[in-house]
Amino acid sequence: MKDLHFILLLLRKEFLLEFRTRSAISGIFLYVISTLFVVYETFVKIQPNVWNTLFWIILLFVAVNAMVKSFVQEKGNRVLYYYSLLNPSHVLIAKIVYNTLLLLVLSLLIWGLFIFFGDNPVKDMGLFLLILFLGSFGFSVTFTFLASLVAASNQSSTLLAVLSFPLIIPIILMLVKISAHALRLIQDTAVSGDLAILVAIDLLLCGVALLLFPFIWRD
Amino acid sequence: MIEKGKIWKFSGVILIVYVIIAGLLIPLKSGIESVEPSYGNAGETLKIQVTGYNTHFKEAGNSLRAWLKWDNGKAIAASEMVALDERRMNLTFSIPNNLPEDTEVQAVTLLIDSETDGTSVLPSAIFLTQTEKVLATEEVPWVKPEDFSNNGQITFPFRNILGETIRNTYFHVPLWFGMMFLFLFAVIHSIKYLRKGDAESDLKAEAYTQTGIFYGLLGLITGALWAKNTWGAYWSWDIKQNMTVVALLIYAAYFILRASFEDPEKRARVCAAYGIFAFSTLIPLIYVIPRLTDSLHPGSGGNPAFGSQDLDNTMRMVFYPAVIGFTLFGFWLSSLQFRYLRLQKLREDLD
Repeated sequence: MKDLHFILLLLRKEFLLEFRTRSAISGIFLYVISTLFVVYETFVKIQPNVWNTLFWIILLFVAVNAMVKSFVQEKGNRVLYYYSLLNPSHVLIAKIVYNTLLLLVLSLLIWGLFIFFGDNPVKDMGLFLLILFLGSFGFSVTFTFLASLVAASNQSSTLLAVLSFPLIIPIILMLVKISAHALRLIQDTAVSGDLAILVAIDLLLCGVALLLFPFIWRD
Repeated sequence: MIEKGKIWKFSGVILIVYVIIAGLLIPLKSGIESVEPSYGNAGETLKIQVTGYNTHFKEAGNSLRAWLKWDNGKAIAASEMVALDERRMNLTFSIPNNLPEDTEVQAVTLLIDSETDGTSVLPSAIFLTQTEKVLATEEVPWVKPEDFSNNGQITFPFRNILGETIRNTYFHVPLWFGMMFLFLFAVIHSIKYLRKGDAESDLKAEAYTQTGIFYGLLGLITGALWAKNTWGAYWSWDIKQNMTVVALLIYAAYFILRASFEDPEKRARVCAAYGIFAFSTLIPLIYVIPRLTDSLHPGSGGNPAFGSQDLDNTMRMVFYPAVIGFTLFGFWLSSLQFRYLRLQKLREDLD
């Protein structure tokens, strides 16, 4: 119960900070809108199979840009203060939850803009929403954890892309496969099995990240 | 005498030498390379020319026997056999008017047996067409192929597409096994570092990762050469090839991460964490995803699983030592690399 209390407090802190410094979040929203605009300006008409890949690739790039600053604020004196006060797992869980929600909102925005500019090729809305959530969670776990590594190294955001893109491939392959089913591009008979694998990969990475984060945090 | 601690290094080298000698010198079993023509009709007298591999048709003389066999077990013996030379032979079969199965086109297996070469089999060697059912009953001299000879030679199996490249099994596959063991040890040392904070564990993890990448590249190259000879292209965008490249990219990123730190203690800690995280994504990447899609590799997409049909007992005698030998050799390479890194670090500390 106490754990939950701390996590909720940290989550509230994330939201408050984001709300007070609106420039970062509005930057990401603008990034999404301009990307989508460029995509439609250049593609004109998007076939469903291209749509499927494009959607996840755009979300991937949006996620990298949105997540890279996850641990930028946790530096210097403030980290010392947090460190003496908090359990590292709580910090990571709060960040992952916050980033999952952020990515979910962003992915819904991308989807909405796709519908606004073109049309909606998604046939199975429920399934697509489910994998939007699972995808956001998987991206959030991977990028948040790796952002904590990159933050420790004082390096640019390229390092996050180099580290995370190969690691994200199992998740994105599963996402594209299941979403192809949601778009009725393929008839996937084993969709529940694929979902189970996606959930398993997400949880595996989440577990490993939670185990390892205390070592990164200890600075 | 050899020191106790060095025995495993020597056994690794001896095993690899044994694998190279045995793997390259043991001949392939005789087999049937091609049949010309590969089709015929019911009721005709079919004359075919067989091209064998490693066969001795002339030498075999009277012990030579040949059959065409249907899937339901019925077979006819060749009515005439003329060996042109050691590798080529003319066979004549009297195809019955009523083929034993119901389909219009029926694939038959060619079996050749001789005392010098043993038994060779070519499945779906000839496609026979039966356009109409001839109702008149006929006496077909059905036989049952039996009394196969065994020439007692030690050979590797002949597989039609693989041919001599079957020997790559002793290099390509053990290199992958070795790579996985090396990455596993790198992770074990990373975990050790996070638990104990011993600087040597960090260097060991780095050394094992470097050797692992080296083995991975060798595995990729041997695989590409093998693919060129069997699948027709160096790169076929096969899911396992792609996932391997991803795995190597993951570990290449490990070294970029290493290079971006100046504080050695911080570098060791962050890189150990990344190494463990990377290894845990390797499990879905190499063991789960490739099983979900079609692949040209054995064991997926309807291809037979590796191990059950691909290895016979002679191959096992070389394959298992190859796995152990290459793994031990990889550990030796890693320990040398570790000592080099440790000296380098010492020099840096002195400077």
